[in-house]
Amino acid sequence: MRSTGNTFSSIAVALALAARVARTAVHRAPSPSGPGPWLGGAVLLGLLLLEAGYAVSSSAGTRANTEEPIVVTDFRNRELVFDQPVERIVCLIESSLSNLYMLGAEDRLVGISTNVYQESVFPYYAAMDQRIRDRILPTPGNWDFVNHESLMVLQPDLVIIWAQQEEAIQTLEERGIPVFGVFMTEFADIHRQIEALGRLTGTEDRARELLALADGELERARQRLALLDDAEALPRAYFMWAQGPLQTAGKNSTVQELLELAGATNVAAGSPREQLVVNLENILIWDPEVIIMWANERLDPADVRQMAGWRGVSAVRNGRVHELPDVFSCDFWTLKYLFTVELVSRWCHPEHFAGDDLYAVRAALFDQLYQGKLPAAELPPLTRTSAQP
Amino acid sequence: MGSVETALDIQGLSFGYGDRPILTDVSVQIPAGKLTVLLGRNGSGKSTLLRLLAGLLPVKHGRITLMGHDMHRLSAAEKARIIGFMPQQHRAVFPFAVEDVVLTGRAGHVRLLPRREDMEKALQALEQVGISHLQGRPFTELSGGEQQMVMIARVLAQEPQIVMLDEPTSHLDFINQARLLTLIRQLVSTPLTVLVVLHDPNSAFLYGDHFIFLKNGRIELLESGESPWDRCVLERIYDTPMHTLPYGDRAIVVPQDPAGR
Amino acid sequence: MNKLLLRYTLYILPLPVVFISLVLGPAVSARQLFDWFVEWSLRRPPDEAVNRDLLRAVLWDVRLPRVLLTLLVGGALAAAGNSLQALFRNPLVSPYILGLSAGAAFGAALAVTIPWLPVQLAAFVFALLAVALSYYLARTNKTVSTVSLILSGVIVSGIFTALLTIVQFLTDPFKLQTIVQWTMGNLHNASWDKLQSAALGIAVGVIWLFLFRWRMNVLAMGDDETRAVGLNPEHQRLLVLIPATLAASAAIAVAGVIGLLGLAIPHMVRMMLGPDNRYTLPASFTFGGAFLLIVDTCSRSVAQFEIPVGVFTTLLGGPFFIFLLKKARIGWEA
Repeated sequence: MRSTGNTFSSIAVALALAARVARTAVHRAPSPSGPGPWLGGAVLLGLLLLEAGYAVSSSAGTRANTEEPIVVTDFRNRELVFDQPVERIVCLIESSLSNLYMLGAEDRLVGISTNVYQESVFPYYAAMDQRIRDRILPTPGNWDFVNHESLMVLQPDLVIIWAQQEEAIQTLEERGIPVFGVFMTEFADIHRQIEALGRLTGTEDRARELLALADGELERARQRLALLDDAEALPRAYFMWAQGPLQTAGKNSTVQELLELAGATNVAAGSPREQLVVNLENILIWDPEVIIMWANERLDPADVRQMAGWRGVSAVRNGRVHELPDVFSCDFWTLKYLFTVELVSRWCHPEHFAGDDLYAVRAALFDQLYQGKLPAAELPPLTRTSAQP
Repeated sequence: MGSVETALDIQGLSFGYGDRPILTDVSVQIPAGKLTVLLGRNGSGKSTLLRLLAGLLPVKHGRITLMGHDMHRLSAAEKARIIGFMPQQHRAVFPFAVEDVVLTGRAGHVRLLPRREDMEKALQALEQVGISHLQGRPFTELSGGEQQMVMIARVLAQEPQIVMLDEPTSHLDFINQARLLTLIRQLVSTPLTVLVVLHDPNSAFLYGDHFIFLKNGRIELLESGESPWDRCVLERIYDTPMHTLPYGDRAIVVPQDPAGR
Repeated sequence: MNKLLLRYTLYILPLPVVFISLVLGPAVSARQLFDWFVEWSLRRPPDEAVNRDLLRAVLWDVRLPRVLLTLLVGGALAAAGNSLQALFRNPLVSPYILGLSAGAAFGAALAVTIPWLPVQLAAFVFALLAVALSYYLARTNKTVSTVSLILSGVIVSGIFTALLTIVQFLTDPFKLQTIVQWTMGNLHNASWDKLQSAALGIAVGVIWLFLFRWRMNVLAMGDDETRAVGLNPEHQRLLVLIPATLAASAAIAVAGVIGLLGLAIPHMVRMMLGPDNRYTLPASFTFGGAFLLIVDTCSRSVAQFEIPVGVFTTLLGGPFFIFLLKKARIGWEA
């Protein structure tokens, strides 16, 4: 029983999908493989998926409304009320997407961000989800752009989006689509988000499990800190973002939290700013003992050693320049920050970790976080770590 | 033909933009050491002819012999040492000092930077024109008449053998016109050939030696026994009924008004 | 003779500014440097409290390359601005008139998203490309008029700005920040390497402009006036346009878009020395360099963190320029 209206909407979907696929193709322009072969296929598969989507939403509609309403406050302090757990989620934030996979709520996803199909994170989500592997999960937007037409067609009952995207949020809410706005400034926000998403998707138990896991890990980190000899000063650490060697983080940042948990002092803590560019002279005065680089496409620890002016810095002289391995393993906006804390702790206090296998540590943690969906073999290598003097 | 008598020999010169002819088969000689005036109505092609002769427009049909040299074979710098051209009106943007404006006339002689002798030539030119007192003044603050004087000094600093001026008096008041034309007249006495486009035949007859009439892009030749200031000649050129009044051995000309007075 | 004094003051202005700039900074105080110098020159036994390695690193690796780079960049932009103003016979022209900054910004943005592409190289190449495109588009009937050049410059700028927007749009927020920072001007990443890579283009361009500085006087007279004295204005324009573009592109590629400097500095110099390019060109170079160095020294002394220097030049240059427009009645007079 296919009405003409349905046919029209199918055409609209096809067009929207084609446009989006083309967009994704542009996005991925640097990659050698052309978009041609899978463009048409993606449109077709998208159509099929839509049919499947109708089936899901109609079956969801029949579920009896017996429980208490779900009330969740998002990061804009907006209250969201649902009669039942959400069934069709469009998630345009990659870190929140990870949270949903950790919660085991990925089957509710009907749309994700185009960024997920980018090289840097694609392999890991592809390993966890056939739909991403086949590139059929629709992408009605990215971190700052929402294609409202493509999004409407997906008929979501929840959209997860950055809280700063006020215009997009307003448009969505005017159309009656509930929005969970995300805004994060500290690690506690990750915990808060897990808890909220757990309640929204009816996976509260798993959320509690994840939070208990995180608390356990944090407790371990604190115990480790307590073990440190009181006389032993915490090493001075400089955090280098990938935008440039002088781009760092001040006191009100997750980097600050990270360094504190790892038993180091942030040399740039004198500035309250979350991100700042410092003068190279400052680095020379601070003389950091450890340099932690965010995953950097242009610079390796070896390059830092070659940079004029940096040669005299203790961290460089002592070969203690370390680069975080990749943006997926170290994502600060997910519980994977626990792994980063572990990693940075080792770099700051190598004497306490002799003999531990880093691969095994990460594999074990990620196995717990992603419920075994992400095999250790699929994880990125951990090679880019340190420069030898 | 004696090349000393003829500064410019023009043979079969034609010029046009696309299908629109501006000059058709112009053949004429400009005598050396004389003040020659090009006359004609607006659009008759006199400015175009002057610009072709000065090398500002490319010659496509015809042949120009310049002081015995085929102009086609001369480089721009060589041409610039023979011909000095003064455009209608110089519109200055920057307040250059008068001496610096005149100094730019030496560009054809200068490799990259002007030398002391170039500055001396510029100062001489100012003196020759009689405006040494303006030397350090910003060009932009001068009156229209003074500006034209400076531009003449610039042409003279170029040390050309032929000076071409395109309607030099058109923006000047009555007295400044007379002053400028007197100055131009004096230049001829220093061995210099002057070719000037004027639209006022009376100024031409007062100061000129030799007259060339252009009409619709062609040279209008005088028949034997005709003088340039004859009424029939001027009526032919300007297509307007005229009165002429004798003035010395020449004449003053005024158009008849519609009432036929 | 007052003008002569002023001229030479402008020429040597960079010397004291370089000195002050080398002495100021957060890591090592002027006092420490002075003590070090006295100790070194009198061959006194070294004071153990002074960390000489730090001193050397700060002076040699941090301050000197930054000071020299700033000087070159400011000088190159001002010299290019001076030359193009003469060339276009318009005092309101900046080195960016032919799409140079838009091209460079696009190139830099592109490079930020393509890891193997060096940012500086891409910015430089696209800056040159934008100007070449403007020149090509302005060519009609084998001639290039200044008006058509300015028009095609506007168009090419628009195209590259649109392309930049596409790149910004497609890139992720993390990289976007790099692009935004680049377009605001960044001298804080100065190093000997950067200095080296920018110096050749700037030196060739500026020396070339310096040699052709009197030709700019001739060009500033106008096309007919130039042709009348035996120079082809189109060839001459190209002979000024090429080195000006080279110098400005090399500067912008290494330092990012530094606003208003190339427009305002030649003005100030002309107000002091008059319009003769024989003097304004070298003075624009030295004054432009000194000015940017002063601004940069202030910007790195004001706060512990770096503020992009392009922000300062624009904030200082903007009001000054409005003042000029109101007061001195400059504008299109051609």
